[in-house]
Amino acid sequence: MRALGTTCLVGLLGLVACGTSTPPARHTQRLTIAWIPKALNNPVFELGRAGALERAAELTAAGPVEVEVLVYGSVAADAAEQARVVEDVIARGVDAIAISCNDPTACLDPINSAVQAGTPVMTWDSDSPDSKRFTYLGVDNYRGGQMAAELLLQAIGPKGQVVLLTGVPGAYNLEQRIQGFTDAMAAYSDIEIVDTVACNDDINLGVQVVEEMMQSRPELDGWFFVGMWPLFAERGSMPLWEAAAREERVRTVAFDTLPVELDYLKDGYLSGLIGQKYWGWGYDSVQIIYDHVLGGKTFPPFTDSGMDIVTAANVDTMIEAWKTNDFSQPLPDPFPTP
Amino acid sequence: MRAFSASHSKPSWPGVWQAVVRRQEFGIAVILLALTIILSLQTSTFLTGTNLFNVMRASSWIAIAAFGEAIVIIAGGIDLSVGSVMALAGLVSALTLLAGWGAPSAICAGLAAGVAVGFINGVFVSRGKLPSFIVTLGTLSAARGLAFGLTGGEPVRNLPNSFVHLGQYNLPLGNWEVPLPAIAMLVFAGLTALLLSRTVLGGHIYALGSDETAVWLAGINVERLKITVYTLSGVLAAAGGILMTARLGVAAPTAAVGYELDIIAAAMVGGVSWLGGKGTVWGALLGAMTMQVLRNGLVLLGFPTYWQATAIGVIIIAAIALDRWRSGHS
Repeated sequence: MRALGTTCLVGLLGLVACGTSTPPARHTQRLTIAWIPKALNNPVFELGRAGALERAAELTAAGPVEVEVLVYGSVAADAAEQARVVEDVIARGVDAIAISCNDPTACLDPINSAVQAGTPVMTWDSDSPDSKRFTYLGVDNYRGGQMAAELLLQAIGPKGQVVLLTGVPGAYNLEQRIQGFTDAMAAYSDIEIVDTVACNDDINLGVQVVEEMMQSRPELDGWFFVGMWPLFAERGSMPLWEAAAREERVRTVAFDTLPVELDYLKDGYLSGLIGQKYWGWGYDSVQIIYDHVLGGKTFPPFTDSGMDIVTAANVDTMIEAWKTNDFSQPLPDPFPTP
Repeated sequence: MRAFSASHSKPSWPGVWQAVVRRQEFGIAVILLALTIILSLQTSTFLTGTNLFNVMRASSWIAIAAFGEAIVIIAGGIDLSVGSVMALAGLVSALTLLAGWGAPSAICAGLAAGVAVGFINGVFVSRGKLPSFIVTLGTLSAARGLAFGLTGGEPVRNLPNSFVHLGQYNLPLGNWEVPLPAIAMLVFAGLTALLLSRTVLGGHIYALGSDETAVWLAGINVERLKITVYTLSGVLAAAGGILMTARLGVAAPTAAVGYELDIIAAAMVGGVSWLGGKGTVWGALLGAMTMQVLRNGLVLLGFPTYWQATAIGVIIIAAIALDRWRSGHS
């Protein structure tokens, strides 16, 4: 008992020793920011995380304030777990929170509690619009959905059967995209949205539901992937969809412009992509919080991060941007006049 | 049967100490105490009222479901459907609220959903003579599917404040603001502990887990007993799910996915034996709180979140190994 107990305690102390730190002497002040994505298992947030840490390092090097970014989140996209993480972060004490909400209602009480406790909160990617967050940084998801409809119409024409793939049902950003898409398609009576399937932001489940749909509806004309989950799986994981896409029996537009999707687009599997500013989710969030907390700058409720439209016409520029990690240059026109 | 101190000898300190140490929950209590001490020393925020009450609130729905799970495991079975029941009950309550029912009626509706699933579990295990693992694995999927079917996958929001308050309101008690879910957790713990330790039913439940044949030979209706046990688990899981839904203000068919693992872990870390016949509700409570304290501690310490799941797994194995070691030496 004693040996086991001692080992456990030593082990725990070892864990504990790794966790804490004190600010270096050069800086007089420390700004601690909690950056909370929807989940830790979604690769789309990786770039944002890197961006947040990069901006924090830049600001620390340039000024008198040490900017520290802590990345917390639930492993999978779980609203209850995310609410708990926010509570823990408030208890820990941070200077500001930047969060992408799994569910706008579930985030309401945690965000408002944080703001009430004196911790400013901003949202990015997925908003909780009724909360007391001081701004939302992201794309106009409704407009993005409309753009996706436009891209799909260009690919399949004004007639056909279309299916939507979404992630966690009810996530605000996804719902906005679906609404924009559906509203835009309403004007075309020969376009029929036959189904919406969900994959809970899980890559594996996304692959599964897409293949099941391809199996049960061979006459399908178009897909709108409201997020890119199944495309994270490698080639060969969705044989029915891939074959149909290659043979141009089904055309797909998707959200997000990560490198794996750009490759799919270049190889002809996708007709168009709506891109967000993944780097900016982290990089710009840190900057916004820095300006708001230390500079007292106010922001409008919606800070438009801007959207990228990628088609075969400008996909090469986008691929180049990923290689150099420089997303500051504007993209060429996605619909060049011939 | 669980350990108890001899009732006829004069109380002496070594005797009292022996009795305490021999209790099932001693191991997990030690671990929880160690975690508390370490976190209090290493952070200035762990031992604050706000944080501790947060931890209690966050563990409350897992804990309440773990009380029900403890009952089932003590009785010699297992209930894998608890996560799905949590989601289903929350959803049923939310739908009835939107249909205009008052909060108390909506809560009863949600609890009834838990009773229904638990009853089905009990019938298949007892009359159908099917292994509880398989039956509850089936109802795990069926209840989850029903939750999806009820709303087409969409979450249900715009719940009235009278309901949401149950999960979000803090009761002012003296200097403290105690979250209602924490109070509910303690009330349920007390009631379930009373059921198990002071009622005839409780005695039968322990006996069932120890030796089912002996219970049957004693003339007790084993089928009815099993149905009762699984129904209790269903209703407690439902209570946890309703509380969680109130806290979040939204009911989703995707809620509580995978929670059955945490719930079972909480019970077993708390000393409820896999073999049946041993364990207490207080152990399950300590188990649920220990896991939550660990999660909370990792955030407070600034530990990379990726390692949380690993750390929790290590604690689970350590706690159960400790328990095995102690029961081997008692």
